[in-house]
Amino acid sequence: MADSPSSGPASGFDAVEAGLVAPDLPALRGEAATSSHPSVEALRARFGDAVLHHEICSGDQHVVYVEPSQNFEILSFLKDDESQHYEFLSDVTAVDFGGGHPIQVVYQLWSLVHKRQLRVKCELPLSGLKIRSVEPLWKTADWLEREVFDLFGVEFEGHPDLRRILMPDNYAEGHPLRKDFPLRGRFSRAEQTRRALSHNVEDFYISAEMEIGREPQVIPPASEGSAGAFEEER
Amino acid sequence: MATRTVEFNVSRAPELGASGGLSQAPLLPIESPEPSLGSEHMLLNVGPQHPATHGVLRLVCELDGETVMKVIPHIGYLHSGFEKLGEYRSWNQIVPLTDRMDYLAPLIYNCAYVMSVEKLMGIEVTERCKVVRVILMELDRIFGHLLWLGTTAIDVGAFTPFLYAFQEREKIYKLHEALTGARITTSATRVGGMMADLPEGWAEACRRFVDELPRTVDEVEYLLTTNAIHLGRAQDIGVISAEDAINYGFTGPNLRASGVPYDIRKDRPYYDYETYDFEVPVGEHGDCYDRYLVRMDEIRQSIGIIKQALDRLPGGPINVEDPRISLPSKTDCMSDMESMIHHFKLITEGIHAPAGDSWLSVEASKGELGMYVVSDGGTKPVRWRVRPPSFVNISVLPKLAEGHLMSDLIMINASLDIVLGEIDR
Amino acid sequence: MGLNDRTLPGGGTSRASAGIFGAGTPTFLTTKVDFVVNWARRNSLWPMPFGTACCAIEMMAAAASNFDISRFGMERMSFSPRQADVLICAGRVPYKLAPVLRRIWDQMPQPKWSISMGACASSGGVFDTYTMVQGIDTIIPVDVYIPGCPPRPESLIYGLMMVQEKIRGERLAEHHINRAEDPAAAGRPRASEFEIQGLTGPFGNSTHQNRISGLVQTDRVDRPEDRLP
Repeated sequence: MADSPSSGPASGFDAVEAGLVAPDLPALRGEAATSSHPSVEALRARFGDAVLHHEICSGDQHVVYVEPSQNFEILSFLKDDESQHYEFLSDVTAVDFGGGHPIQVVYQLWSLVHKRQLRVKCELPLSGLKIRSVEPLWKTADWLEREVFDLFGVEFEGHPDLRRILMPDNYAEGHPLRKDFPLRGRFSRAEQTRRALSHNVEDFYISAEMEIGREPQVIPPASEGSAGAFEEER
Repeated sequence: MATRTVEFNVSRAPELGASGGLSQAPLLPIESPEPSLGSEHMLLNVGPQHPATHGVLRLVCELDGETVMKVIPHIGYLHSGFEKLGEYRSWNQIVPLTDRMDYLAPLIYNCAYVMSVEKLMGIEVTERCKVVRVILMELDRIFGHLLWLGTTAIDVGAFTPFLYAFQEREKIYKLHEALTGARITTSATRVGGMMADLPEGWAEACRRFVDELPRTVDEVEYLLTTNAIHLGRAQDIGVISAEDAINYGFTGPNLRASGVPYDIRKDRPYYDYETYDFEVPVGEHGDCYDRYLVRMDEIRQSIGIIKQALDRLPGGPINVEDPRISLPSKTDCMSDMESMIHHFKLITEGIHAPAGDSWLSVEASKGELGMYVVSDGGTKPVRWRVRPPSFVNISVLPKLAEGHLMSDLIMINASLDIVLGEIDR
Repeated sequence: MGLNDRTLPGGGTSRASAGIFGAGTPTFLTTKVDFVVNWARRNSLWPMPFGTACCAIEMMAAAASNFDISRFGMERMSFSPRQADVLICAGRVPYKLAPVLRRIWDQMPQPKWSISMGACASSGGVFDTYTMVQGIDTIIPVDVYIPGCPPRPESLIYGLMMVQEKIRGERLAEHHINRAEDPAAAGRPRASEFEIQGLTGPFGNSTHQNRISGLVQTDRVDRPEDRLP
């Protein structure tokens, strides 16, 4: 797994780890919804307690909070079931409210067939930022989950290639979009400049890429196509 | 090691035979070794500084000769911390940030952002504002497609369409500048309305522009659409099926070129798009050539929408009079204490949005642009998330390009129409 | 030290008649050679367009028909640094891109000049954030700064003309000053840590706003081991 905030002696960047905020505070949610959404009804019927809360935001946008441990089953039902058929994943992102509140992982879904959208949220406590990856369901989630990992530190189990995507691979200041991360970064500008330039440009190549070209590779047969591309990246 | 027989059908220079006459002796066939499969591949790094990557994109390619075996795109070379910076700016102060993400079609981003905040706040803009925003969004769709046209043509090897496209873009720059004062970084919208109303003569200038544009588009189509070189470089290159395109998250002209008729202006219409008469071009093969055709057609459809919008442009105020966002007039402030305090609070604190979140998708020139704003009741967002269409589009590049030649990789990259500003944010 | 030797300000000596290429003293021939060399250099500058963001679009507009830097001999944009004269850094440069910029600059052969186009390249611009280099002059030496967000193509042309003026005033005799480049400094930042801290400190209240209300210090958690200013 790529570098995580709790690795090495230079840890303790997170406010929770440093003991500066109380972790696992209750979640921030809106009022319960007054009107129904067919997908939420179907989820309640099938998954029962895993559907924690349903609210309506901004007038007509339905948001359903689900148990994070069952996110894969719920999202796979939403994708594959004929009457739900959310075959298009618009976005995977996360929201950090700060102050010890859980980080919400947000899935925005759209059904091309039924022309319906739904927002699914999973709340992860700061002490346990792990959730199962939905990349096997929608390949869109590949890079979107990498970005959430990079900027928030949420680990996606089962993701084929979880490494930093926007920050450099060796970024040591933590996860930028967390609320306890200062806007101008943790290191001084001089230190950031020194770190940026002190590394060899070749260090930006990950080891798997450097292995290419050193030994004979087998050309994949034409029928396989490039299905193995994402698995082979690491 | 197997050997094969190579026969040459070229004869050596004639030589004198035994009898003294000229004789043309064919070369003897020779034994040459079979080229072995699995020979060493080459690692090639394209970018981040490269003319054909359309920005600071780094592609690490494994090549077998000229064929791309594997390509890994690396992004983040333009990551500016927009979303983090947005958490430290009040709702209206984020509008200038939105210009700088997709700098090829800034007005679409301006409009999409304030639309999402207006949805969160439950603000309905005036009729005039709706029509003006439709005009500006379609104008910038043309703007973005013209740049795509110019740079894609350069990547294929044609320099002239670049100059033609930029000449037309100069006219749009003048329209931008007349409206907002800036050519690219327009920041034209505010929550609840626009920075300023259309100046005198702007609508006529815009109409003249869309009346003259089809001639240039025809000229460029004449250069490219039936051009054998362009056909050879674009047809059957970078093919993706409809199911794969949906699963990989393609949106915009890329998705429609694969045969999926998903356009947010038709499926989730906003600003009365259902009342405009336009078609959504849909391709069938999902290759680079279809993406080209879809975008050229979209330029023409946008011209039609702009003409309809200019015809129906109503009068009236451009900004909505909502006490949560509108500044009281100066005369009121000078005479009335409540207006003075209201003005003061709006200026020093900014506008307040109610707690909650709002996701809004807009059909940008590159695809589905999603703006997700989360508020806790304050003047600044808790989270401002931009779902950039190019971010998801470029992640499909490995699937599209593997098995093609190196120069096809460049063509596929160009046909995706990416802008690194929005990918990296 | 003879009667005709004079001490120049800043050290060094000059000899009144040291031949046609007198060290330090301009002579008729050196001024003519300087004129020709500088004329050739400034009218055939090949820009290295290090375009990253919005300023790159204005640079492309400057290269297109309406503004046309081809009038100045600059239409041959050299994307290979080995063949370029002037590096135009157009757009914001994050720290991830900084070593690439430095490497491109190091790969350019002398004589070379650099232009920092736009507010983001000159000082970080709007982006005083965790990723952004607060001015590329901490990374590479800059000859001309062009303000603007983005600067109009006319501004870019004005900046290019300023580089041309700078070249016009150069002298071959000062080659060791103008073209000085320490090979050991390749890949390292141009400015010292002290200079960087001075150039990049926060100013104004825009970075000190916290999330709740106006002008309070940025809401962050302070730890003693954070190395912050």
